[in-house]
Amino acid sequence: MTKTAKPLSHPFLLLLVLLAHTAMMVLVVLSFGLNEEVIKMACVILTFDFIGSIILQFVQREACTVDTVLLLVIGMSTIYQSCFGGLEFAVKHFAFGIAAFIMCQLSYVVTRNPYRAERLKPLWYGIFFILIFVIRFLTGSRGMWIDLGFITIQPSEFVKPIFVLICASSIHTQLNKHEIAGIHFVPDNLMVIFCTAVIAALQWWCRDLGSLPTFVAVAGFGFLLRFCYLREKMSVRLIVFLGLCAVAAGVFAWKLAPAYVQERLHSNIWADMSGTGYQQVKALTAIAEGGWFGKGAGNGTLIHVAASRTDIVFSTICEEWGLFTGMMTVILILFLPAAVLTVPPRSYYHSGLAVGVAAVFMVQMTLNIFGSCNLIPFTGVTIPFISQGGSSMLASGILAGFLKAAQAPVLTDRRSGKEGK
Amino acid sequence: MAAQNSKEKLPRPNAPELDVSAPCSMRRAGKWTALLLVAFIAALIYLAYTLITESPYYMAKSGAATYGIVYDRTGDVLFDGSQPLTNYPAGQFADVGNLIGDTSGQMSNTIVARNLTDLANYTFTYGNSAGTASLETTLSHSANRAVYNAFGEKNGAAVAYNWKTGEMLVCVSKPCVDIAQGYANLETMLPGSLLCKAFFPTVPGSTQKVSTLLAAYQYAGVDRVNALEFSCSGKWINAEGAAINCHQASGHGTQLLPEAFANSCNPYFAQLVQSGIVPLSSIIESYTRMGYSVNGNKAEPLTMDGITIQPASTALSDANNFETQWGALGQGKTLVSPFQLMLWQGAIANGTGSAVMPYLLKSKTSPLKEVTPIGKAVMTEQFFTAEAAKAVQDVMTQNSTNHYYVSFDVYHCGVKSGTAQVNDNGREYENSLLAGFCLDDQAPVAFCILIEERQSWDISTAQIARTLLDNVSGLS
Repeated sequence: MTKTAKPLSHPFLLLLVLLAHTAMMVLVVLSFGLNEEVIKMACVILTFDFIGSIILQFVQREACTVDTVLLLVIGMSTIYQSCFGGLEFAVKHFAFGIAAFIMCQLSYVVTRNPYRAERLKPLWYGIFFILIFVIRFLTGSRGMWIDLGFITIQPSEFVKPIFVLICASSIHTQLNKHEIAGIHFVPDNLMVIFCTAVIAALQWWCRDLGSLPTFVAVAGFGFLLRFCYLREKMSVRLIVFLGLCAVAAGVFAWKLAPAYVQERLHSNIWADMSGTGYQQVKALTAIAEGGWFGKGAGNGTLIHVAASRTDIVFSTICEEWGLFTGMMTVILILFLPAAVLTVPPRSYYHSGLAVGVAAVFMVQMTLNIFGSCNLIPFTGVTIPFISQGGSSMLASGILAGFLKAAQAPVLTDRRSGKEGK
Repeated sequence: MAAQNSKEKLPRPNAPELDVSAPCSMRRAGKWTALLLVAFIAALIYLAYTLITESPYYMAKSGAATYGIVYDRTGDVLFDGSQPLTNYPAGQFADVGNLIGDTSGQMSNTIVARNLTDLANYTFTYGNSAGTASLETTLSHSANRAVYNAFGEKNGAAVAYNWKTGEMLVCVSKPCVDIAQGYANLETMLPGSLLCKAFFPTVPGSTQKVSTLLAAYQYAGVDRVNALEFSCSGKWINAEGAAINCHQASGHGTQLLPEAFANSCNPYFAQLVQSGIVPLSSIIESYTRMGYSVNGNKAEPLTMDGITIQPASTALSDANNFETQWGALGQGKTLVSPFQLMLWQGAIANGTGSAVMPYLLKSKTSPLKEVTPIGKAVMTEQFFTAEAAKAVQDVMTQNSTNHYYVSFDVYHCGVKSGTAQVNDNGREYENSLLAGFCLDDQAPVAFCILIEERQSWDISTAQIARTLLDNVSGLS
């Protein structure tokens, strides 16, 4: 029997989203008063909640966890971004939020059938190499951005969902072994290794290793699942061995790391408060000033520091809304990957997608939050859905669609008879 | 919808990975995700804990906090961050400015600068309006002020601590910035106003002979060293042909060690070093154990409540070499801070060769009025043997009784004086030092006095030491 999801009732979830956003809007009113901008923002966000919920009611109810959290997070994120340092409705951010919501539905449609999603791997590889080509040759000098004048695009953000698609695999693919000179290998595994190496080389060239841990984590977990599926009895020993290899690789990478990377790993922000440690010192001070419940929406000063809406956005939220709200926001985002725990994926390919997305979300949040709080080196990556940035928002929406696909899959394969297994 | 459900319930039989009951191997996706989530949430809890506990530090370092009050041992105010310092009587902070410091950032090696976090009126829950934090010190402001005033026109430093409990009682460094007056006249301030000289090495003069004597006692034995005779004719020519002069031009004649120590006879000690009775390697080893940086070897700086005290240093290359002999006499390249001289006196006074480490902060009180004791008696490493400590204690008390009876008539003290020949970028002058201890139960203190550029008609180190003892007596 199929395990069907037992979601909370749909009206209840909608009520939850509306209540959360309404509560936030009340706090905004307390800070800014009941003015035209506040009313406009409240109307837009609550209307989006209504319309989004109604659409989802008819589209797909099994994946309500992902959709509900997405609605909630996009609205919250828009309120945060609109209130930082003063009230101005973040139209662009909200528009990208809607786009992310749509991208989530589209990626769900594309990946809900694991057979089809995996058969499209040549396409994913194609897109992957096109993006790599674009980053290498069309972005600015050793930069990651394409400036179109009216908008800037960060192609490297779109590599993340594509890479997750590449790293997911089914047993069928893993059984497709080849042999050359007595050595057995799986072509798909070699491709993942090759793609990881390409990303590492590209990031090294760009002198921006910030996103590398994300890609390495996706590839690592992708391989872990592959080995676990096929060699259950050996898995623990193998995982330990791979873990040791990863540690050795880390030490090796540390030795080879460029001077600027090593400097960042060693830097004492309090010894250079106006130089390299400026952003983190300001971020930590802002959290301390915010306390548990913040200074109030729009009353923060961290907004005057560079990257306050992106790389140190957690601190900006904590300053204005408090550490409690900041933590709750992060935990709310965790509900997206945690959806796998409530409704387990029913195909190996979707399992790979779900773990890949979890790795992306959690590694990115780790790098952003813990980096800005000086517990790990500060790199400058975004928090999914919260940080300002269209490319990041859209890519996160695509990734959320994968989770939705894992929750509400379509488990039929019209071409299975032609695959010649 | 019904059609869709039927599709889900009937997976194709030739598709093994479409096991709808989610087999164990497939559920590993959930396990790995759960592992990631647990690790992340654990890290998040750690982050929250770190942010909450370290937020006073962030506020203090970034200058966003308001600050509380530093008290002396009787509750007299030494610094007040909660109101303008000009509200206090003139001269209230004149003797403690470069020791206690302030929040201006002008001085870094002070109690306030090194303990800003504990002095911040900030808690994560209540912000800057939680209350007033405070630091309670062991310093006696009245004694400190008396010693400061005793210097008169002279500059220098004076430190004293209870060698039984470790409580710092007096720490004067003159000239001293008056923090209530601010820093508008920074350019016209006397050099050294912003640093406490007690914590910085200076030429120790003949107070160094205590260290050399300790080395001799440890490696040649007390009886043997006490029986050593060397003669002084006012000048002694060493193996290199260099002259070691005695402060008494007519010389001291043939002396035993206690006499030579009391006379502070340079030729005697230079001959002791060159004789090989105490090998130079043994002197180096003894100095190193005491905390000297010998010949450039690294020595760990001392710290007291965050304040750094630079370690002593000297250069000893060859027992026949003038510079080596000169260094063992406390001149030339030998440098020791008054604080460290005082610390060794503590180890001599208690007769163990290991001192109680001095501390200045007794307790801290949070803005929420939670009192946390900080200071406690902690023994240092063994600087020298107990036998050597007791032997030197005898020599020093004998010296005090025979030569400083007038100054310390009512106290049972042991002292060693010194005259340091200082070459300050070509400008030559002499400093006067006195290191010693008092064994009385009413004033169990070890101390060191330094008077810069002292002339014979100026106040003496012994007079300042007497003022110090009179003012700290009974504090225990």
